[in-house]
Amino acid sequence: MRIAIPRLGRILLCAIQQDLSDDDALEFQSNLLSTIADVEALGVVIDISALDVVDSFMARVINDTASMARLLGAEIIVCGIQPFVALTLVEMGQGLLGANCTFNLEQGLKTLQARIALRGDFTATKDDDEHFD
Amino acid sequence: MSAHNHLAALNLLLTTQRPEILEKWTAEILKSWSKRLPNTFNVSEMRLHTAQLLEQVSQIFACYPTHGLWDFPESHPLALIMSEFSASRAVAGFTPTETAQYVMSLKSVLTLALIRVGITSAAELETNLSAVEDVIGRLTLVTFSAFVATRERIILGQSASLIDLSTPVIRLWDRVLLLPLVGVIDTARARKFTENLLEAITRYEASVTVIDVTGVPVFDTAVARHLMKTVDAAQLLGTRVVMTGLNPEGALTLTKLGITMPNVITRATLRTGVAEALALIGRRIVTIPSSQS
Amino acid sequence: MNTLTKYCDTVTVRNTSDIVLARSCARALAARLGFGKADQTRLATAVSELTRNVIMYAGSGECNVTDTSDAEFNRIEITVKDHGPGIADIELAMQDGFSTGGSMGAGLAGTRRLVEDFSLESAPGLTKVTVSLSLRRT
Repeated sequence: MRIAIPRLGRILLCAIQQDLSDDDALEFQSNLLSTIADVEALGVVIDISALDVVDSFMARVINDTASMARLLGAEIIVCGIQPFVALTLVEMGQGLLGANCTFNLEQGLKTLQARIALRGDFTATKDDDEHFD
Repeated sequence: MSAHNHLAALNLLLTTQRPEILEKWTAEILKSWSKRLPNTFNVSEMRLHTAQLLEQVSQIFACYPTHGLWDFPESHPLALIMSEFSASRAVAGFTPTETAQYVMSLKSVLTLALIRVGITSAAELETNLSAVEDVIGRLTLVTFSAFVATRERIILGQSASLIDLSTPVIRLWDRVLLLPLVGVIDTARARKFTENLLEAITRYEASVTVIDVTGVPVFDTAVARHLMKTVDAAQLLGTRVVMTGLNPEGALTLTKLGITMPNVITRATLRTGVAEALALIGRRIVTIPSSQS
Repeated sequence: MNTLTKYCDTVTVRNTSDIVLARSCARALAARLGFGKADQTRLATAVSELTRNVIMYAGSGECNVTDTSDAEFNRIEITVKDHGPGIADIELAMQDGFSTGGSMGAGLAGTRRLVEDFSLESAPGLTKVTVSLSLRRT
């Protein structure tokens, strides 16, 4: 099962719609990383609004993905955590998902853009002639 | 059911002296309930009820088994009648004793009446008395447990509504929520307000949540833990948390527990906390230049 | 996947989609018994943790979802069982932060915090975890 990774300029978007197997997770991560590298992505938004359960495995997948992306220089935002998913993670004693979280994609993009604007390596705003794949 | 009439004395009593027994029983009840406010029961209704009950009880004695005890399952019509009666007493605010007295007083009336008859055979007296003990005793138990069950249901119902009402989540401003905590925070309440808060944060996409604990009298380790869970989950959703109203004792407890609340803006008063919250969304409260005071 | 809405009581667990199915069963029964969304999520998450462990350590197993309500309480009981090598040191496994599979380590300790009753038996050849949640009837 492939997770699509559309691009919005130098920002990547991806949505995890359902539970991943070990293999799926690995595949997703390596796809994302090579895309980040290819495009020199500045930021990634991971949308988990479709997940009504996040267990420790999925939490690790999300966290690891965020760490990997950061190592390649991309800012990470996780958006769409459902309220009871957040509550269950906290009750389980799950470490906070390292990334910053926003309610939805729109806010995620805004936050990302604000953060990116503060970066030293940010040169131009104009990569808008690139479209969604 | 056999009509062996080994309870001859008792049955004779109930046939020939019914009105007197009824009157004595009713008098006992009225004595026990005399402290009751007049509006809580209707005397003529009560007399009707006791008359019917005595009729039922008489029929039971008429068919009482020669061996073994009276068969009185939960589904017995009399059990249902007594449960209903008892439940209505509980709802009307009668005490457990007053309710149990209703049935128990019949036992003393019948026992005394039996003794007065002057049964010569000790064995016969014993048989009659134990039948009274058996039937009235079981009826009393059913009455009592129905009373308790009803009381429990009432209490639980009330706690549930208290839990619901007690911690509303307030929309202070566009994307700013306020959760005023008042009173004792136990696990049930903490769960409820946490769930309500998290749903509200998601629904209104609240950028800031103010949690005010001014009204929490006791800040112990349990309360601190509940609060931390709420704060952690709220932050996980992406809201900024402002906590206000902590008193010195609360500050002490939290620190001793090693809870430092990073990322939470803490302010002593609700007023300053609200000002902070508004600032976070780019707003502040100003005097309108032309207003008259 | 219309079968997800049907009430089912035992799910054989072998892969990720079985995990999702087991979760749906738990959620469906919990909803039927009147548990709120928060509790449903807790149960589904517990099932997820336990069934994932089964796949990781034993390859396959089964998840049983039962209604054990009585007069006073509505109760849901879930048992996850496998015939794998077992947990060598149960006390260690129940500690916070413990994990051999490289997961966040919430594992069993975290799951226990989501439910009311939690019991674990493990020996080579049989591991059984039973959890339950109850709701007072009004």
